[in-house]
Amino acid sequence: MPGEDQERFEDYLGLEQYIEELQAGHVAHPPTELTPSQARIYRMAALFRSASPEGAELRPEFVAQLQARLEQELEEKQSVPTQTLPVVREKKPWQILKKPGHVSRRALLSGGAAVAASMVIGAGVERVAEQVAKNDTQKELAATGPLIQQGIPTTWHFVTTVALLQDAPVRFVTDAIIGYVVRADEDADVEDRGKIIAMSAACTHMGCIVQWQGSDRKYHCPCHEWLFTEYGKLESSRGYINPLPRLETRVEDGKIYVKVPVG
Amino acid sequence: MGILRSRQVVGGRAESLATGQDTVDVQEFQTLYEENLGLIYRYVYSKVGNREEAEDLTSQIFIKAVRGVDHKRGAPSIQKWLFQVARTTIADYWRAYYRTTASSLEELLEAGWEGPTEDEAIFASAQPVERVQRILQALPEHYREVLTCRFLLNLPIRETAVRMGLTEANVKVLQFRALKRAADLEPVVTGTV
Repeated sequence: MPGEDQERFEDYLGLEQYIEELQAGHVAHPPTELTPSQARIYRMAALFRSASPEGAELRPEFVAQLQARLEQELEEKQSVPTQTLPVVREKKPWQILKKPGHVSRRALLSGGAAVAASMVIGAGVERVAEQVAKNDTQKELAATGPLIQQGIPTTWHFVTTVALLQDAPVRFVTDAIIGYVVRADEDADVEDRGKIIAMSAACTHMGCIVQWQGSDRKYHCPCHEWLFTEYGKLESSRGYINPLPRLETRVEDGKIYVKVPVG
Repeated sequence: MGILRSRQVVGGRAESLATGQDTVDVQEFQTLYEENLGLIYRYVYSKVGNREEAEDLTSQIFIKAVRGVDHKRGAPSIQKWLFQVARTTIADYWRAYYRTTASSLEELLEAGWEGPTEDEAIFASAQPVERVQRILQALPEHYREVLTCRFLLNLPIRETAVRMGLTEANVKVLQFRALKRAADLEPVVTGTV
């Protein structure tokens, strides 16, 4: 096949860009239009990157967070057969099938996040201490109030523990939403101070997922370089977009939960 | 490392869980987690090349594992199954990302982007660092040097050029060809043909 594997100047530049992104520790994806031979080259770059000093080291925070998350999953799994099933069986079909707000993680990751962001409007954390029975769906829906649009089923998603939440935001991922949880210090607005704040990571411009950077303590939007403070306020001065939408949080037994739409 | 150490309060409950037939044994899962987290994480990292996605995908894989784990499998087959979960999770991830260009996705998958399909090959690729070392050893000197500078030493292109006595443009060409050769050598060197 003449020409198929011919190298062009742009190929060298494209690869160099990818390598630079990897070296900077950024999320980087190879271009979408690649020949199989080119795809193998990019795959090699990712493989070689994993042999770099940063590559194969697990962050202790990550190990601890995932561990806590999995414990939570195990606990929920235990409670499923005894508590949830009978409830579902009693429900009439039209009650169960109410899932208008379904958003797949796939859609979120690929820019559909604006949809998810629009489902959630700004929310305070006044209801932190609110007690909501974990398996009582009715009560939970009632407590949702105006924070997440009506009719969208929600669930309390375990993120991390109060003890593990240091001064950097902790990222969480659910099927429907990606977000951050952060402790509001002295530099936060008065009404937020001392609270635990959760926000969606979907940029309010186009829905790209913002990323926390510890170096300047800002969330960066990878698409149009919008900047947000650690509490989700818009930092850029070149225009106005909404702050990152807040999510409701709850602390119970030192564990931090965020109210998220069911994915 | 004591994962699940915080569970001491509910230790009594953990024991009772182990007696149930379909329930998950916390101790067993702890072992599974400790033994495989590093392996899976490095495997995923070697596919995506960055920490953030590696952490996200690793979390997804283990959450799927908690939900679906079957303890009637022995330890080795649980590990094998974990890698299968990892493989499909990564494949799904790329599929979502490249959803608009289905044809190039097929090419990526064909190129083994989501990992090899044979069980043995999956285990082989779980040791990415060793894999990289073997490939490096098999490469000609100047290819080995450029890849060492850019990846193992994490040097920017300018410093790599100075160190090798080349122009930056030369380095861009050289690293492209080095990775291309590495891709050709990989199946031979790591025995995954």
